[in-house]
Amino acid sequence: MATQDLLIEIGVEELPASWVKRAVEVLPALVTDALDAARLTHGTARAYGTPRRLAVLVDAVADGTPDVEEEVIGPPKSAAFEEDGRPKKAAEGFAKKNNAPVDAVFIKKTDKGEYAAVVRKEKGRDARAVVAEIASALPSRIPFAKSMRWGTGDLSFGRPIHWLVVLLGDQIIDGNWGGIAFGRTTRGHRFLSPEAIQIPTASAYLATLREAHVLADEDERRRVMVAALEKRSKAISAHVEPDEFLVYENASLVEEPFVVLGSFDERFLALPDEVIVAVMRGHQRYFALRGEASREANQKLLPKYFAIANTAIDEANVAKGNDRVLVARLKDAEFFVAEDRKKKLAERIPKLDGIVFHHKLGTVGDKVKRVGALAERLGGGPRSMEAAALAKADLVSLIVGEFPELQGLMGRWYALQEHLDAEVADAIRDQYLPKGAGDAIPATALAAALAIADRADTLVGCFGIGIVPTGSQDPFALRRATLGILRIALEGPLATDDIGSTLEAAHAGLAAQRTPFAAWDVVWPRLEDFVRARLRVILGENHPTDVVEACLAAWNLKSVRDLSKRVAALDAFRAHSAYESLTVAFKRAWNIAKDTAAAEPDPKLLDAGAEQDLWAAFGKIRTGMQACVSAGDYAGALNLVATDLRAPIDRFFTDVFVMVDDARVRENRLRMLRTIAESINAIAHLHLLGG
Amino acid sequence: MTPARTFQDLILRLTSFWAERGCLIVQPYNSEVGAGTFNPATFLRAIGPEPWNVAYVEPSRRPTDGRYGDNPNRLQQFHQFQVILKPSPLEIQELYLDSLRALGTDPKRHDLRFVEDDWESPTLGAWGLGWQVWLDGLEISQFTYFQQVGGIDCKPISGELTYGLERIAMYLQDKATIYDCEYGPGVKYGEIAKRAEFEWSTYNFERANVPMHLKLFDDYESEVHALLSLSREKSKGNLLIFSEEDPLKRLLLPAYDCVIKCSHTFNLLDARGAIGVTERQRYIGRVRHIARAVCETYLAQRTAMNFPLLQTGTV
Repeated sequence: MATQDLLIEIGVEELPASWVKRAVEVLPALVTDALDAARLTHGTARAYGTPRRLAVLVDAVADGTPDVEEEVIGPPKSAAFEEDGRPKKAAEGFAKKNNAPVDAVFIKKTDKGEYAAVVRKEKGRDARAVVAEIASALPSRIPFAKSMRWGTGDLSFGRPIHWLVVLLGDQIIDGNWGGIAFGRTTRGHRFLSPEAIQIPTASAYLATLREAHVLADEDERRRVMVAALEKRSKAISAHVEPDEFLVYENASLVEEPFVVLGSFDERFLALPDEVIVAVMRGHQRYFALRGEASREANQKLLPKYFAIANTAIDEANVAKGNDRVLVARLKDAEFFVAEDRKKKLAERIPKLDGIVFHHKLGTVGDKVKRVGALAERLGGGPRSMEAAALAKADLVSLIVGEFPELQGLMGRWYALQEHLDAEVADAIRDQYLPKGAGDAIPATALAAALAIADRADTLVGCFGIGIVPTGSQDPFALRRATLGILRIALEGPLATDDIGSTLEAAHAGLAAQRTPFAAWDVVWPRLEDFVRARLRVILGENHPTDVVEACLAAWNLKSVRDLSKRVAALDAFRAHSAYESLTVAFKRAWNIAKDTAAAEPDPKLLDAGAEQDLWAAFGKIRTGMQACVSAGDYAGALNLVATDLRAPIDRFFTDVFVMVDDARVRENRLRMLRTIAESINAIAHLHLLGG
Repeated sequence: MTPARTFQDLILRLTSFWAERGCLIVQPYNSEVGAGTFNPATFLRAIGPEPWNVAYVEPSRRPTDGRYGDNPNRLQQFHQFQVILKPSPLEIQELYLDSLRALGTDPKRHDLRFVEDDWESPTLGAWGLGWQVWLDGLEISQFTYFQQVGGIDCKPISGELTYGLERIAMYLQDKATIYDCEYGPGVKYGEIAKRAEFEWSTYNFERANVPMHLKLFDDYESEVHALLSLSREKSKGNLLIFSEEDPLKRLLLPAYDCVIKCSHTFNLLDARGAIGVTERQRYIGRVRHIARAVCETYLAQRTAMNFPLLQTGTV
């Protein structure tokens, strides 16, 4: 059978970069799923996109769909036919739907009973008709974050649509979307090739556009751009700061990339590097340039940059304009920094009293007082109070007002300029660590204490006033804050890692300052669940869920490192030969004994043999196990259980019938099982293992 | 076409360009606005089914953007040239590029781009999709297809073009700072605006009387409620409640002036650092509430008047 390539191109006004990216991801499947549903065979599909077009090219599309003859099962016999065999409405509908006369419906016996059935016959369809249907439905099926209407129409898309190219081989497919007819006319680069262009045949798509200064394939645009960046930087002995975000962003903002070299006055290099890079990257999407990497001393930021342009017939012209924009931005930054430096950080602290953090939780000034006291309690040292206030002073600086992503970095820079203590300066920066999963955590006790105290205060504060994250609603990023607290407590430099006491202390600080504040026993239950859920996330990264659950159940919400040790020990214990049988046995023990009153059994009532042996074996390791648990040696405790209890408990369940009629004996037996199980529960609730 | 030599030439060229393309030329609004969008010739006319094509200059005040006259292109008062095309024509981007050519700029010799900039004004309950237009990295215009204004869906859609006149003048006159641009023959922009920038920046950041402006905000807000017979309460489903049911008995236009005053007062208080983070949200919510009441009243009035511009069919 003959096959041809299929091209669908949607010509639009400039779409946002992220929308093009998403559309290019979904387009191949949108088209191939539709082809599959129509039984039109095809080869692979690839999607392309620039700001002004979205396209999909499918290889080897068949020239038609095959004739179909297949048996279709319909409604149950009773629903399709009267008792006397006359067809009901359901049978008529079923026949009509399958393109058959009603008398063609027959009864089919299946495993589930008797059903109406029919042989559906369908003539194969011409590929052009199938493609016209698919193409005219396609634009409406592309998902956008937002869509818009334009003019007087009711059409809706990411941006107004100007043309639609639909070609099967070299044939235009007859059809339209919302009145916009399919054709072969596209447009090239808006300025470098503004004339209408005819695409001769689907497979010539990329090449035709390339001639017209459009690289429709984003991978190609990236490659061309990166190669040009390398070549140009080599020519001026510079090194482009690698930046994935900028590469992707710039490639998606142009139809054909041109590198433009710009420069700025050296005097701006007196600004912190972070500020210069933030100005160039955030506002203008420029690549920063440094001295060549091979020469250590030369890795300074250069007063130069690369901009990526869509049109650069006259590079000097384009560079001049960009330089001017950058100078204005840098002057702005210079103005901010100069204004900021007129005041010391410490002098800004009173201004924090004027910023409402949340009307129920007071000002940022109120907050830093609570945070300072809590940080000191957590082991931040004598400078905690001072550092907590200084740490937020840059929030009322102009430069952070303009570049929020520089919070902490600028505070540290100002602190160093003022010759404040280096540890305090670092803490101003590091209080925001970790910024996400996989990020570093604060290295010093002061920074770690501030980081935990700030987040704990927000967390408990929000729970106290009823702001509890639900679903996707988490305006104060409490989930991330809690993950941060836990990670710092687990891996950080502080001596204390007691999450329960930390949060209770945060609550005490809030309650003392914000009276009346919700009582701890009101706040804690919901908070406890929330903290447990985050621990599941953190520990679940490296350990099976059931192991984490078993340990969480045994843990007292205090030392998180203690919990982590339990999880590690239990996870390792899974490799022990006794693991399977012990978990089965303890699950059984717990299930039958859990409702029994917690009390020691009377040894005199225990039967000789397996029962007394188990109790004796338990007696032998009981103190040792408790000692291990107290010392946090959970591996040791589990080892004792495995070596000394495995055989006795297995034998007990084989030989002894627990639920005997004699109530005294039965109760005593359950008490023994409960006593043993409880003592093992002190390590981890083994009965929760294995799902 | 030679480049527009002066600031006023720039205004004249844009004015005649758009007048030739069928736009009414109206005048700036006589109250402090943050953008040409606030002018009732945009904000109210974008609502409802009536066609509307208009262009005007709007001196726009943004107190927080003041730099005491020290920054080459940041000003607390700058000028927008505003164009509304309702319904938006399909060739609107080409019309815009033609207007640049009319100013003496060949887009081909520059890097001209339409960069995503979806617009949303939480205070006005309005949003639209569109772009910033970049000329060699400099944002010279904003381009928006209004989708909703005052919480009301737009139909038809208006296309809004907003030119940043100072930036375009700097580029056309090849000056590194706006103050060196020629405003008219022999008079520099600095002569017109530099002292004003210094005084207004000082006022906005340091001297504006905070208690007075806090009270002004409250008073203007109350005035809107009174003029529109608007209840402070919202019904279930967040509907506005007007105690006067006949929209033509409400004083819409004075009420809208008070909304503009509230918005400017809020911006000033913001520059003065007098509004905290959460307070901000509440103030914005208050302005949105009264702006919505104005928009609903406008639509109700035009409906009651049987949409006069649909009757004549011309603008």
